[in-house]
Amino acid sequence: MVTFTVFFVAPVLYAIYLSLFIPQQVNGNLTQVFGGLQNYEWALQDNQFLKSFIHIFFFGIIQIPIMLLLATILALILDQMVDGFLKRFFRTAFYLPYTIPSVISGLLWGYLYSLNLSPLNYIIQQNGGQPINFLASTPMTLFVIGNIVTWTWVGYNMVVLFASLQGVPRELYDAAKVDGATGWNVIRYIKLPLLRPALFLTLLFSIIGTSQIFAEPFALRSIGFVPNDITPNAYLYAVGAQNGNYSYAAALALVLAAVTFIFSSFFLRIIARNSNDQ
Amino acid sequence: MTNKSASIWLVVVMFIFSIYFLLPFYWILVSVTKDNGQLNTTFGLWFAYPWHLLDNFHEVFTRNGGIFWRWLGNSFLYSTTAATLATLFAAMAGFAFSKYTFFGRSFLFTLILGTIMIPATALAFPIFLLIQNVGLANTIWAVILPQTVSPFGLYLMRMFWDQSFPNELMEAAKLDGANDATVFWRLGVPLIQGGLVTVFLFTFVAVWNNFFLPLIVLGNNNLFPLPLGLAGWAATQTGSTPPYSAIILGALIGILPLVLSLLFLGRYWQAGLTVGATKG
Repeated sequence: MVTFTVFFVAPVLYAIYLSLFIPQQVNGNLTQVFGGLQNYEWALQDNQFLKSFIHIFFFGIIQIPIMLLLATILALILDQMVDGFLKRFFRTAFYLPYTIPSVISGLLWGYLYSLNLSPLNYIIQQNGGQPINFLASTPMTLFVIGNIVTWTWVGYNMVVLFASLQGVPRELYDAAKVDGATGWNVIRYIKLPLLRPALFLTLLFSIIGTSQIFAEPFALRSIGFVPNDITPNAYLYAVGAQNGNYSYAAALALVLAAVTFIFSSFFLRIIARNSNDQ
Repeated sequence: MTNKSASIWLVVVMFIFSIYFLLPFYWILVSVTKDNGQLNTTFGLWFAYPWHLLDNFHEVFTRNGGIFWRWLGNSFLYSTTAATLATLFAAMAGFAFSKYTFFGRSFLFTLILGTIMIPATALAFPIFLLIQNVGLANTIWAVILPQTVSPFGLYLMRMFWDQSFPNELMEAAKLDGANDATVFWRLGVPLIQGGLVTVFLFTFVAVWNNFFLPLIVLGNNNLFPLPLGLAGWAATQTGSTPPYSAIILGALIGILPLVLSLLFLGRYWQAGLTVGATKG
């Protein structure tokens, strides 16, 4: 109990306290001066910070649905398969990327996309073409990050969804079959509604996870074009670790946490309301 | 499935997806046999001769005075220590939440689970400053201590206690005069062994893969865990080429323990996700 307090409650309180100060040169010494909500005012006017939010917002509304749709389809297929080697093989193969440290998957995919190591560029060059720089602009880099994140998390989400499908009593399917339900109807009217709670959970974790993307762009920085404002966390790191302005970084982190919280509760509420209507 | 050709098509679809998910792993296995020149000039998805696997091993383990050994050792040290402590704390706290009723129990449990919502990066800088204040910055404890708390681990442990340790057993033991510690260690721990392995596995991998915290709290190369060290090799000064072959082999060595744990301890992974899915 004490440890939980020390490592969760204390840092949050400290971050709030910290975010109220501004580093300033006083008689040649760098000191923290009380600044009230000044840091927050700056944060809301900080173009790079706002841009990082726009980046991650568009990233999220495209990547999260693709990832969860794939995970759902794969979980449904897996659920249809008979137990055996193939089923175990697919489950393990899809889940494997989740166990890889994100900075390492960032590096590996980065090399697969890079100018000189990419197998695709090798084929293009063999046929007399110019190699493509996949990491040349912010949208392209975001696309590459989207691929890495999808690759990492589809399997994890699939296993969570698959596990909740396994919890369905088999008699339910048999009863549906007796009533003449086709395979598609079983999916539409039995499985998808049963998946709803697990989908909430994966959606929630996806929103939180998306807001925190950091290691992938960090790894790609050594390979291609990755601006500081590519994600909120990347910008936060630039402010805190590179410029040493911890108090401003703390304010940014709290704004990020608040926005993430608002977004996830907003989405969950919409979905919860829709499901109540049915 | 009644329709046989449909099920064959589904298996084909699954195979295509497997290729996508396994491609980077295949690429690593091919690439660790090449030197930097071959990586640049030969087709990435097929082998090239002569092989340089042994040279690459030599390069990885001797580069920068053999610092790779230290990184690997650090990763094992941090992950094992933090996961052991985290499992112990989660087991004890989970026991308390599961078997005792006390004032504010459900509120406190919700509060702890709510901390999952706080971005880890929002905590990293304050944790760094707090750790600096107590003089632990740039020590192994700066990485280990903050990771000994796992809200997800606590959540899992509570579920395991609820499921595998009946309240009647607890009451019977109490009637026989056993104190709380005896009940926990003698009766409880053997019963929830599976849960302990699951929580240990999840926290071990989480610590092994954590990047932001060590990046913030460590300034000394010698204390880096493996992923951080590899990122350092990759980020060489502009103009010079990073040691690709060393990084790729290093990455393979770095992910091997995780892949093996998945292949051999798969059912414990499954246990963690199943509890999470049905109760969430």
